[in-house]
Amino acid sequence: MERSYKQVKRMTPAMRIIHWVNAICMIGAIATGLYIGHPYYQTLIADGAVDKYVMAWNRYGHFIIAIIFDVTSVIIAYLYFFSRFEKPYKKLIPNAQNISEFKAVLINLLTLNRKKEFDSSHADSFNTVYFTIFHILLIWMLLTGLQMYVHGLGSGISSIGAWWPWMLHLVTDWTIPVTGGTLMDVRIAHHITMWLIVCWVVFHIYYQIWRTIFWKEGDISIVISGTKFVKE
Amino acid sequence: MSDRVEAVKKLFTSKSSRVETNKGDTYYQDLFEKCEARLNEMRAQTPANKLDFTDLLEENGIDRREFMKWASATTAMLMLPPMFTPLVADAAVMMNRAPVIWLELQDCAGNSEALLRADGPKIDEIVLDIISLEFHETLQAASGHQAEKQLEEAMEHFKGKYLLFVEGAIPMGMDGQYGTIGIKGETFHDHLVRCAENAAAVIAVGSCATFGGIPAAAPNPTGAVGVMDVIKNKPLINIPACPANPANMVGVILHYVLTGQVPELDSLLRPKFAFGYRIHDNCERRAHFDAGEYVEEWGDTGAQNNFCLYKMGCKGPMTFNNCSIVRYNEAVNWPIGVGRGCIGCSEPDFWDKYAYERPMADAKIKAPTGGVEKTVDEFGLGMLTAAGIGIAIHAAASAVAGKRENSGESHE
Ligand code: HEM
Ligand code: SF4
Ligand code: SF4
Repeated sequence: MERSYKQVKRMTPAMRIIHWVNAICMIGAIATGLYIGHPYYQTLIADGAVDKYVMAWNRYGHFIIAIIFDVTSVIIAYLYFFSRFEKPYKKLIPNAQNISEFKAVLINLLTLNRKKEFDSSHADSFNTVYFTIFHILLIWMLLTGLQMYVHGLGSGISSIGAWWPWMLHLVTDWTIPVTGGTLMDVRIAHHITMWLIVCWVVFHIYYQIWRTIFWKEGDISIVISGTKFVKE
Repeated sequence: MSDRVEAVKKLFTSKSSRVETNKGDTYYQDLFEKCEARLNEMRAQTPANKLDFTDLLEENGIDRREFMKWASATTAMLMLPPMFTPLVADAAVMMNRAPVIWLELQDCAGNSEALLRADGPKIDEIVLDIISLEFHETLQAASGHQAEKQLEEAMEHFKGKYLLFVEGAIPMGMDGQYGTIGIKGETFHDHLVRCAENAAAVIAVGSCATFGGIPAAAPNPTGAVGVMDVIKNKPLINIPACPANPANMVGVILHYVLTGQVPELDSLLRPKFAFGYRIHDNCERRAHFDAGEYVEEWGDTGAQNNFCLYKMGCKGPMTFNNCSIVRYNEAVNWPIGVGRGCIGCSEPDFWDKYAYERPMADAKIKAPTGGVEKTVDEFGLGMLTAAGIGIAIHAAASAVAGKRENSGESHE
C-alpha cells in the first residue's frame, strides 16, 4: 500500500545551531574535563615550562566551552517560554494531556513500537521532559564548575572587578553543603554528573536513531534539515 | 523554621574564602589608637609569669634586628599595615600577660609537639614559650589531684580572661566514655564544656579539634566531632592543619593581645589571615601544573625536576592554608617543597576526602549503594555499561520484533 507523507517543520535554524553547538561543546567539555581531572597524556613539547601551557589550555578550553554552554542555556531557557515556534514549557506542565502523552510514548518505547497511540508530528512530552533533565544537569555542572573556579579567586578581586567573585560565591557556595560539606565533594559531584551526562547522551542518540528506524518518519533529519515526515 | 531561614541566609551571605587586605585609612587609624591604649593598660598589669621575652631572645642569640624583621613579617601576615609593626613587637613582649589554658583531648599531641620543637627555638616558639600557660596536661609537672587543683585555680583566677586552647577531637559515642580525664573520670565532652564556660575565647588547634580530623575519619568508631560542634556560645577560632602551624597560633594570640578581638574569620571559623589563601595559587610548582608537567611516580625524572605533584594526588587546588607562604619550622620548608603532595590537612574531612595520594578521579569513593568502594571513573563507566547493556537489549529486541512485523506484513 502506497502512503503519502507530509513534511512537518520541527526545529528552527536557531534551534539546530544550538543543538550542534551543544554537541560539539559536550565532546570538548568531556575531553578537557577528563584531562583536568587526571592529565591522561604527556606533554611532548620540548619547551620550558614557561611557554607551554598544556593544562592551562585545557582549563581555558573547558571554561570557554562552559561560557558557550551558559549562553546557549540562557537562550534555551528563554525559548522554553517565549519561542515563537513551539514553547516547550507547555509540554512540561503535568496536565492530563501531557501525562497521557508521556505514558503513550514510553509505552511505545517499551513495547518496541507495537503500540503507537500518539501524534508524532509535533514535539512530544516524553522527549521534552528528557531534554529538560539535560538542561538541569547542565545547570548543575555550571554551578559546581563555577564553585571550583571561584576557589582561585580567594583574594576577592578579579580582572573584571570584585563583583565577579562576590557573585560567584553568592550563587554557588550552597553547592558545598549540598554535596557533602567540603570543596572536594563539589569536585566529586561535578565529575559524577559528567558520567550522568554521558549516559544521557548515549541514550539520546540511540533513541533518536531508533525512532528513525522504527517509526519510519525520518526523525533524525529534524536536527539537520529541521523537518520530518509524517503519514498523511 | 526560622532556624532554616537563618541557615539559608548564612549560606548565601558567608564569604567562604575572600580576604579583605585593605580596609581603608580611617579603620586602621582607629584600630591603631585602640591597640595602643590596650597595650598601655596591659603594661601596667603585673605579668602572670616571670619569663622575660627580651632576655629569652638574647639567650637564644636572636638580636634586635632579627626580632624586628620577625615583627614586620608577622604584621604583614596579620594583614595590618606597616605602622603596626612597633605595636606587634610590643605585644610580643607582653605575651606573658596572656593567660592560656590548654586542653588535650582525643589526639596525638602533634600540635603541642609543633610548638615545642627542640632544635633551637625560633621567635614564634619563644613567643609561645612565654605565654602564661596556666595549665597544659602534657607539659606540666603536676598530676592527679594537684593538676586538678591547678586547673581550678587558673580558671578561677583568670575567670573570663583566659584563652582556652583545645587540641584533639571530642568522642561523643557511648556517652563520651571513649575519653575520660582526671581522677573523677570526667568525659572529654564535660571537661571541655566546663573549661569553656569562663573562657574569653576558645581556640581549636589542629584538624582534630577543628573538624574531628583523624579520629573522625570513616568509620569514626568513637563518634568524634570538633570543638565547634560542641561549643556554640563562645567566640571560637579554628586553626586547622596537621599540625597547626605555630606561626598561625602566634598570629591568633598576638591579634588577641593586640586588639582584644578575634581576627576576621571565614565560614569555617578559620582566621582569614591564615586560611584565605589557596595552596595551589602560591605554590612554587604551579608553572609545571599549567605546563602539564607532572611527577608520574616517586623518584622519576619529573620528581627530580620539581614537577607538579597533581598526579601524585596533590590537593593544593582545593585546600586553603598559608603553609605555601609562611611554610613550617620558621619558613625552612613545607610539604610540597620537599616533594610530596598536599593532603588538604586544613579542610574538613580531609582524611577521607583529600588524603588518598592520587587524583580524585582515581580515588576509591563510597558508591551511593554503600559498602563497595569504586573510583569515580569506574563508577561512571559502570553506569555507562549498564546503560549500554539496556540499550543493546532494547535494540536487539526491537530488531527481532521489527522483522516479525515485516514478515507479518508480507503475508497480507
Ligand atoms: C557548564 C559549565 C561548566 C563549568 C563552569 C565547569 C568548570 C569546571 C572547573 C572549574 C573544573 C575544575 C578545574 C580545575 O580545578 O582546574 C572542572 C573540572 C571538570 N569538568 Fe567542568 N565545567 C562545566 C561543565 C562541564 C561539563 C558539561 C562536563 C562534562 C560533561 C565537565 C566535566 C568536567 C570534568 C570531568 C572535570 C574534572 C573533575 C575532576 O576529576 O577533578 N564540566 N570543570
Ligand atoms: S604541586 Fe599541588 S599545589 Fe603545587 S601546582 Fe601542583 S597541584 Fe598545585
Ligand atoms: S601542604 Fe597541604 S597537607 Fe601539607 S601542611 Fe600544607 S595544607 Fe596541610
